[in-house]
Amino acid sequence: MSNAESRRGNLAGWAFIAPAMVLLGLFMVYPIFWSLWMSFQTGKGLNFKFGGLANIIRLTKDPVFQHALSNTMIFLVVQVPVMIVMALLFAVALNNPALKGRAILRTAIFLPCVTSLVAYSVLFKSMFAVDGVVNHTLMALHVISAPIGWMVEPFWAKVLIILAITWRWTGYNMVFYLAALQNIDPSMYEAARIDGVPAWARFTRITIPMLRPVILFTTVLSTIGTLQLFDEVNTITASAGNGGMPADSTLTLSLYIYNLLFKFVPNYGYAATVSWLIVLIVAVLSWIQFQVAKER
Amino acid sequence: MKPFAFTWRTSLLAAAGIQLLTATMALATDVTVWCWDPNFNGASMNEAISRYSAGHPDVKIKVVDFAKADLEQKLQTQLASGQTEGLPDIVLIEDYGAKKYLLSFPGAFVPMTGLIDYSKFAPYKVELATVDGKTYSLPFDSGVTGLFYRTDLLEQAGYKAADLQDITWDQLIDIGKKVAEKTGKPMFGIDQNDAGAVRIMMQSAGSWYFKDDGKANIKDNPVFKASLATWVKMLQTKELYKPVSGWGDYTGAFNKGDVAAVFTGVWMTGTIKANGMSGKWAVAPIPKLAGVDGATHYSNLGGSSWYVLSSSKSKDAALDFLKTEWAGDVDMYQKILVGQGAFSSYLPARDGEAYSAKDDYFGGQGVWASFSDWQAKIPGVNYGVYTNEADAAVAAQLPGLVAGGSIDDAITAIDAQLEQQMQ
Repeated sequence: MSNAESRRGNLAGWAFIAPAMVLLGLFMVYPIFWSLWMSFQTGKGLNFKFGGLANIIRLTKDPVFQHALSNTMIFLVVQVPVMIVMALLFAVALNNPALKGRAILRTAIFLPCVTSLVAYSVLFKSMFAVDGVVNHTLMALHVISAPIGWMVEPFWAKVLIILAITWRWTGYNMVFYLAALQNIDPSMYEAARIDGVPAWARFTRITIPMLRPVILFTTVLSTIGTLQLFDEVNTITASAGNGGMPADSTLTLSLYIYNLLFKFVPNYGYAATVSWLIVLIVAVLSWIQFQVAKER
Repeated sequence: MKPFAFTWRTSLLAAAGIQLLTATMALATDVTVWCWDPNFNGASMNEAISRYSAGHPDVKIKVVDFAKADLEQKLQTQLASGQTEGLPDIVLIEDYGAKKYLLSFPGAFVPMTGLIDYSKFAPYKVELATVDGKTYSLPFDSGVTGLFYRTDLLEQAGYKAADLQDITWDQLIDIGKKVAEKTGKPMFGIDQNDAGAVRIMMQSAGSWYFKDDGKANIKDNPVFKASLATWVKMLQTKELYKPVSGWGDYTGAFNKGDVAAVFTGVWMTGTIKANGMSGKWAVAPIPKLAGVDGATHYSNLGGSSWYVLSSSKSKDAALDFLKTEWAGDVDMYQKILVGQGAFSSYLPARDGEAYSAKDDYFGGQGVWASFSDWQAKIPGVNYGVYTNEADAAVAAQLPGLVAGGSIDDAITAIDAQLEQQMQ
């Protein structure tokens, strides 16, 4: 290919991707840089001015932010491992051809993640009400003697949110594992069986290492998802229009950003600063997860 | 290229069609109003609309109802984004939030100074919607508070109307205990996440979250401390209330007859009257904080005003409607007072006959004259800009306090949180 020809080819290539690039630049890159610039502004609503590092200093002193950060971290540390392990176990169990009704079970476990967020939140809200069906069932089974205040007591509210997001997203992660399991050569299991490797060791020594890239992928995805947790805490544990109840015990970073913008006196600059902090946390956590996956 | 030409022509035709449609629609002026309570401000607005429409058949005014929190967040989101399409022409804003919107979104609302004679409205209502000498609201209702109670249930527990006059909150707690014991029904439905009661108590003694200069007024504020302590004591008295979550649950508690009373703003009258228990209700002034200087039986909760948005395409019609009905129709005010409990801040309306009428729903009690009386005695306070933030800071401490935490520590924490939120 001559030089001119390759240049023409290049030009054509650029021309083809130009519309997408322009749109991406306009609706993605530009807002990102704009929000970075915004994070240095302070003031009420549309009256803002350059404030230097004021917002970052404010972050270090803001008890609500620290509270939201610790809540989010609790959700992350408890919920993501539980969900990943459950999804993995479900996937391996449902991958067993000897199991009857696999298709139905797979669908049933996957179904929560295609339901509407608000619809399921409203259902959870009514099921977990003080006089709701969950408390009634638990009392009838004598698991508890007095109804649990799922949405009234700070501890149980956190448990409820973890239950809800685990219910919703376990099936979603399971599907990734199911797909990846199809790519593991059955002859490996056969060889292991012939060598007398027990089932548990086959799971930990063959299945998990073979799934490592997918596990990494789902972990990063779930981490990001949990750090952005908003809908559930703004619907299930909400009362009188205030999300994150009771007593901000389920206030997440995303919900705090929302409050700063749309409930409190709007402060775009500070909200942008908190958003950028989430970006930073996601970047650091993802990097750590990649490192851990590489080491093994 | 045939299909392309075809679509092109179709879309052209469609565009022409749309234009034709908008042209016909433009003949009638459309005005949309957002408000939040179909039993109260929605119903009052509809009354005003039907009166105005009689003389102005070319103006079509329509009310859209939302939950209050949804309305506020939708309004704020749209104002923040600058996306004015879909915003109404007239919007109802609660007085606590007025300054927040006016200061955060300059130019978003139409000033009505010069158009409306503000000397005819309660001065505090005008003041709270005034920024830099311009007033932006058409003041609507006042939220003068009262203790609404079921006379039949209270009687079962051995209480008469006189027993509820001039009492303290502690005495009310004792009455509540007795009512629960005798009737098996708790006195109130309480949503722990709603800080409204603390606001009622504070203002009843002439204090607020903020000082006149706008600075936080939490630490070393004996009224705030007494209000918080009283509210915590009520929350700790479990037999006093049924825990409820959200507005529907809250109003449902007394509408379904599950609880014996509710202390709230006069605007609740419409909701109370909608439950078909005529003759079984009565109203007393709210109790008073014990041991606090300047404590009274009179306070305010909520209250709201109408605002016209600058983005409105029917600004003139909207303004004319507000001026004609809401700043001129004394008769309408009589009707929405009796029907909805809309206690107006339009002073000429007070001379109307409805304000002195007796109400059979409340056992023939002259409730409006009482409310009118109490309203004149409400201590004035400055609502400031950060009421939502202060509410959130208080709500965050309540569970700990109810579990027996120290009031002083909680006040320090509330003060610290509010301090950070006010920048």
